[in-house]
Formats: sequence, C-alpha cells, structure tokens
Amino acid sequence: MYKISRFQIYLIIVAALFLQGSVFNYMEIMGARPDLLLMVVVFFGLFLGPAAGLETGFAAGLLKDIFALDFLWINACILSLSGFAAGIINTQFFKESKRADFIFVFGFTIFSMLLHYLIVSVISTSLALDFRDFFLGSVIPTAIYTGLVSIPIYVKLLDIYNLKETEDYL
Amino acid sequence: MRTQKSKIFKALIVIVCLTALILSSKTITSPLRIRIIDFLSPSLKTVNSFFTSARRVLPFGSLREENRLLRERISLLSRKIEELRIVSSDNDRLKELLNFRKTVPFITIPAQVIGRDPSNWSNSIILDKGINSGVRQNKAVLSTRGLVGRVLEVGRYSSKVLLVTDPNSKVGVMIQRNRQGGILVGRPDGRCRMIYIALDSDVMPGDKVITAGFGTIFPKDILVGEVLKVERAPGRLYKSAIIKTADDLSKLEEVMCIK
Repeated sequence: MYKISRFQIYLIIVAALFLQGSVFNYMEIMGARPDLLLMVVVFFGLFLGPAAGLETGFAAGLLKDIFALDFLWINACILSLSGFAAGIINTQFFKESKRADFIFVFGFTIFSMLLHYLIVSVISTSLALDFRDFFLGSVIPTAIYTGLVSIPIYVKLLDIYNLKETEDYL
Repeated sequence: MRTQKSKIFKALIVIVCLTALILSSKTITSPLRIRIIDFLSPSLKTVNSFFTSARRVLPFGSLREENRLLRERISLLSRKIEELRIVSSDNDRLKELLNFRKTVPFITIPAQVIGRDPSNWSNSIILDKGINSGVRQNKAVLSTRGLVGRVLEVGRYSSKVLLVTDPNSKVGVMIQRNRQGGILVGRPDGRCRMIYIALDSDVMPGDKVITAGFGTIFPKDILVGEVLKVERAPGRLYKSAIIKTADDLSKLEEVMCIK
C-alpha cells in the first residue's frame, strides 16, 4: 500500500517513543523539548496521506497516553487529528522544501498544543494554567524547537525511504 | 472521489469517538494504563539502563579519539581513571541519598526512575517500585534536594508520579522566611507558579518555598524550590511568583517515596 511497510512505520513510532522519553528528554532548552512523535506523525501524514496520518497518529497518541499521566485518549485524539490534517493538505504544498517542513511542523505543534489546552480546559475544572504563560512559555518555544529538529530528521527519513512527491507513493 | 469521502467520514467517526471517550473521563488516573506499565516495566528498566549507560559513556567519545593519537598505555590508564571517577560520583550520589534517608523523619522507599513522560503537556515519571515494595497512591515523593511530586497510579511493580511541575499538580506551600501561604501549580515548561500570595506579602526573588502541610499528601516543611520572579498583574487581588524547583526534575535518576 505504502512505500514504507506498516511494520517499518510502527517501528519508527516505537523508536520515536523511546527516544522521546530518553535522549530528547535531555535536549531541553528553556523548558521546551522537541515533540518527536508529533514530528513523525506529521511526516507520515504529509508523505503518505490522510489515512496513514490518522492511523499513525492514533498509534503514536495511544502510546503517549499509556506512558503519560494525562486524560486517557487525549493524545490519541490530538495526534490522529494532526496526522489526518497533515494528510489532507499533503497534495496542496511542495513538501520537500526544508522551509515548508519547518512551517508544517511548527504549525502542527502549535495546533496540537492549543487543542490540548482547549480539551483539558473543558474537561478539567481545576486547571490553573495561565494561557499567556502556556502560550509564550511552552507553545512557542516547543513549536520552534520541534520545527528546527524536524529539518534534519525529515531529510534523513526522505533519504531512507526515497519518498518524493505524491505520484511516487500514492 | 467517493473513497476519499468515505475515508474522511471514517476518520471523523474515529475522532468523534475519541473525543467522546476523553469527555467521559473524570480523572487523569487509569487502572488499565498502570497495568500496561507494570507489564512493560522490565523492558523499560532495560531501555533506561541502556540510555543511562550510553549517556555516561558518550563523553568518552572525544577522549577516545584524542587518546588514539597517544600511546596505548596512556589511553588505557586515562580511561580507567574516568571509569573510577564515574564509580566515585555514583558512590557519592548514593551516599547522599542514604544520608538523606537517615535525616528524613519519614519511612521512605528508594526507587529508580525508569521512564519519563513523552508528552509536552504533562510532567510525570515512572518508578520501578509499586505496591509490592510498599508504594501507595497519593504519597509524596522526594529527592535529596526537595519535593518531587506525588504517586498517582500504582501497579504491583511500578508506579507513576505526578511531578509538581505538571499542570494538574497543586501543592499548598508557603514562603519559608515570612510564612506567607499560597498554592503551587505546575507549568508544562518545567517551572511552577505560586499563586494566591497576599498583596501585602514582601516575597522576593531568592526566598525559599516549602510545603505548608495542609491536607494529608505532603508533609510540612519540605523544600520545594525558590522564588525566581514576583509578578503582580494590574487589577488582581493576589500576587504570583515563578518558582524554580529545588531539583532539576527532568534529570532525576533516584527518588524516595514516603511510606
């Protein structure tokens, strides 16, 4: 179906999960850590389409939900939506440009973190997190950091799997 | 075109179902999740020890390259010295932990951090001790420098700790110097904010923040951190302060759970 086998996709997701909890945890700058799982999900959405984005987003989000201490299913929902949205726009932009990659990942990081804030604000009656604090202290630094880290990772993944524009893999 | 529409429809169904599932949850704890972590804890330990060892060995990379240019004997000796230094620093850290255990007026259970939160929203850690070792839900967790958080999910062989830096965490605290109270809430960037500080309070940067001891979870007078910055928004009835935790919670290796 895809140029990358399902096994490889899931292997990348599991590897991303372990790297996120170990290596990337130590790469903290100003309290921000790059979100490797989101990066991978957006990559699959952009290069393999909405169905793959949704599927990988669900799998990655579920793993996040298991290892995090947060409302169950919340990450599965947010990452599924992010992967799906990345897939929807996959045919409309040129994706092999590094600047485009950065903008996509930057945008999706902001989208996913704001969605998280919105959902938790609706569910939790005791959230005392100031929106300005959250946006300026977490969302923006994380989005910039994730966007920058995504550039070499996307180049590597594109090299490994030789993914070109749409007609090459759909 | 039709398949594309049906795909979008299916995706929407999945997302709606997931949203319904989230909205039906009332707490952030889940017994199912900790059972999965229990099952995975041996592999988590292995992965964690692999990364810990890798992190310790990595600085040797440059040293090794440099040593290749030198004679073999010098290379061997210098590496041995470095190895001994690591053993010595491990020894110091464990001794510190042991001494701290002796000074703390509670019975504590030492535990190793085997996993960390992969999310950018929540801040939690996974410990290698659970009910079988005496860890209980809603008990405070400390490091040698101060408060870490509280146990929120407990399995047989592992447990999850909600760090004080998590947005869902709230701790009753006070300024050590003037005993002014407030509530400490976490932020996803790893810092905390102390809210509800009285307007007439003379809280200033550098002040130590300790637990107030209200409630049953956190004992009184445990160091939480220190004030970095005091803020007062116009029109607000209270001041707030940015707090830096006593220990760097993103790099914890060992902690102690109060029994």
